[in-house]
Amino acid sequence: MELWNQLMGGFATAGTPVNLMWAFIGCALGTAVGVLPGIGPAVAVAMLLPITSQVDMTASMIFFAGIYYGAMYGGSTTSILLNTPGETGSMVTAMEGNKMAKNGRAGAALATAAIGSFVAGTIATILVTLFAPVMANFAVTLGPPEYFCLMLLAFTTVSSVLGKSTLRGLTALFVGLAAGLIGMDQITGQVRYTGGVTELMDGIEIVLVAVGLFAVAEALHAVLFEGSTKESQNPMSQVHMSRGEWRRSWPAWLRGTLLGFPFGTIPAGGTEIPTYLSYGLERKLSKHPEEFGTTGAIEGVAGPEAANNAAVTGTLVPLLTLGIPTSTTAAILLGAFQNYGIQPGPQLFETSSTLVWALIASLYIGNVMLLILNLPMVGLWVKLLKIPKPQLYAGILIFATVGVYGMRQSSFDLVLLYGIGVLGVVMRRFDVPTAPVIVGMILGPLAEAQMRNALSIGEGRWSIFVERPMSLTLLGVVLTVLLVPRLLAHLEKKRGKSIYS
Amino acid sequence: MARDPARLRQAWLALGVLALAIALAVGAVSIPSDAGYAGVGPNFLPWLVSAVLGVCGLCMLWEVRTGGFRGMLPPDSDQPAYVPGFVWLSAGMLLNAALLTSIGFILSCTLCYAFAVRGLRNAEGGLDNSPRRWLIDALTGAAIAAPVYWMFGKLLAINLPGLTASGWL
Repeated sequence: MELWNQLMGGFATAGTPVNLMWAFIGCALGTAVGVLPGIGPAVAVAMLLPITSQVDMTASMIFFAGIYYGAMYGGSTTSILLNTPGETGSMVTAMEGNKMAKNGRAGAALATAAIGSFVAGTIATILVTLFAPVMANFAVTLGPPEYFCLMLLAFTTVSSVLGKSTLRGLTALFVGLAAGLIGMDQITGQVRYTGGVTELMDGIEIVLVAVGLFAVAEALHAVLFEGSTKESQNPMSQVHMSRGEWRRSWPAWLRGTLLGFPFGTIPAGGTEIPTYLSYGLERKLSKHPEEFGTTGAIEGVAGPEAANNAAVTGTLVPLLTLGIPTSTTAAILLGAFQNYGIQPGPQLFETSSTLVWALIASLYIGNVMLLILNLPMVGLWVKLLKIPKPQLYAGILIFATVGVYGMRQSSFDLVLLYGIGVLGVVMRRFDVPTAPVIVGMILGPLAEAQMRNALSIGEGRWSIFVERPMSLTLLGVVLTVLLVPRLLAHLEKKRGKSIYS
Repeated sequence: MARDPARLRQAWLALGVLALAIALAVGAVSIPSDAGYAGVGPNFLPWLVSAVLGVCGLCMLWEVRTGGFRGMLPPDSDQPAYVPGFVWLSAGMLLNAALLTSIGFILSCTLCYAFAVRGLRNAEGGLDNSPRRWLIDALTGAAIAAPVYWMFGKLLAINLPGLTASGWL
């Protein structure tokens, strides 16, 4: 009952005309950002982070959540019509959705993606409503050793599970950790790696790195390597699903939601894994396996799109209850909270309950807004794809300047932004993942502080991490994540060899 | 190895990682180790990061020597790099950083936009670099930069540098 009252209180706050306006602008902007190539939700939120200095906290968090959510809806439109996913979570949609569009079923693919996103988003928001307070109550019992182990788990999954190579993932993570070292040590105030540059005393802004690695790197990559790449747009058809397509879609939406949500809540770094898993599952369960990869199967769009949206909503659970971001955008949202002097964590539901419940209520409202924005108005968003790339990327650079300069009023940051953009191009050419850099950079200083606090509790004994049941369990999970995939790969290789011999 | 340009580039990347590890170690020497109750001080993580990056760099070099980086996805495009476009875009961004505080946000971003568009358009094969084209690009850039400046400066009170103190230019 208390939960219900709090949620209703949230609706009362989120439902004021001003907050509804911010939610609408966020959803519309998010959809645009998702549709446009070269700019994702993380960069969009990062570039708009300076608004936190003027806009009321609840309004701006509702606005940012709208962008985050909207980008997931918009991303599928680009994937289906252009075969260039607007954001990483839509990569799988690009495979089947594009095949459907090529066969004149773009409308059905767009409809199943939008309605699936709505169904998954709503179910996942209900799950957040139910589980986040429980999780927050549980999180209160965690101490520094457990927090450190949780962060270790985030580091492990983001660097070794994502991407093709653990070595390159690990390198990216440690580059991020190195970047996080720059500035003042949180515990002793000791200045590290500033090289006498006063601008570096406060460390490198996460906004700067995100905008550099994603937006600037994208523009530099486009100018260097994508000049002669020609994109063709698939023809649109009426946004409509037949009865048979509804029947095939809804079980896939539910399965996708159930797969996606848990992946969002654990520190497993993003939406890629659940979307791929959902695609694999749908392919296995489908009564029309011949359509996969040929004419395009609707389940292959419905499942992964639902998984994508459920995972995105799920990332709010660890962000709000533990203060641990599990995606790049969540990391930037953490920065937004910090701009208001708030550290998300178990106390947040007590200290800022109005904000938290308004944010959760805004997710319900945002989902409805996005369904309207993305079904009847999809034709409007498709027009955005007509903006020529040179003008689009050059325009993004203007917004990047506002986002980065607006943070600290430092021209030095703009030079750094360019340097990080070049680094992003190098990483992309060598297939080095970028997500571990961001996660390493934002979680590194927090993890270091938790580790040293834990060791202080243990009076310098490292055994503190195995003496407490919860941290021991988490260490076990870390080892499992590290070892099991390798063992399985090894066994498979051995089996393959024995069959061959 | 030297005959394969792809592996040579990978070797350079591995050496870059090693250089970063060494630079971190050099910096870590001057960080005090006052450990307190924790037993580890502010220099612990720097040494750890440096050591792990060193090992990563060495492992990368080993991969290069034994056939190249493992599990590499093919690059998004196999076109050769278009350097003139890169130079235009880089010049736009760096000039923006250098001139922002002296000529103001609108003019500086207009310049950045015009340079970047020129680089990107030339990369796509559009070779119209006539004064008229420059003028159109500059006007488009100003048409984006000015409302952005007014919106962030006037509406959101974000301190962006102007050419005058009026807050409009």
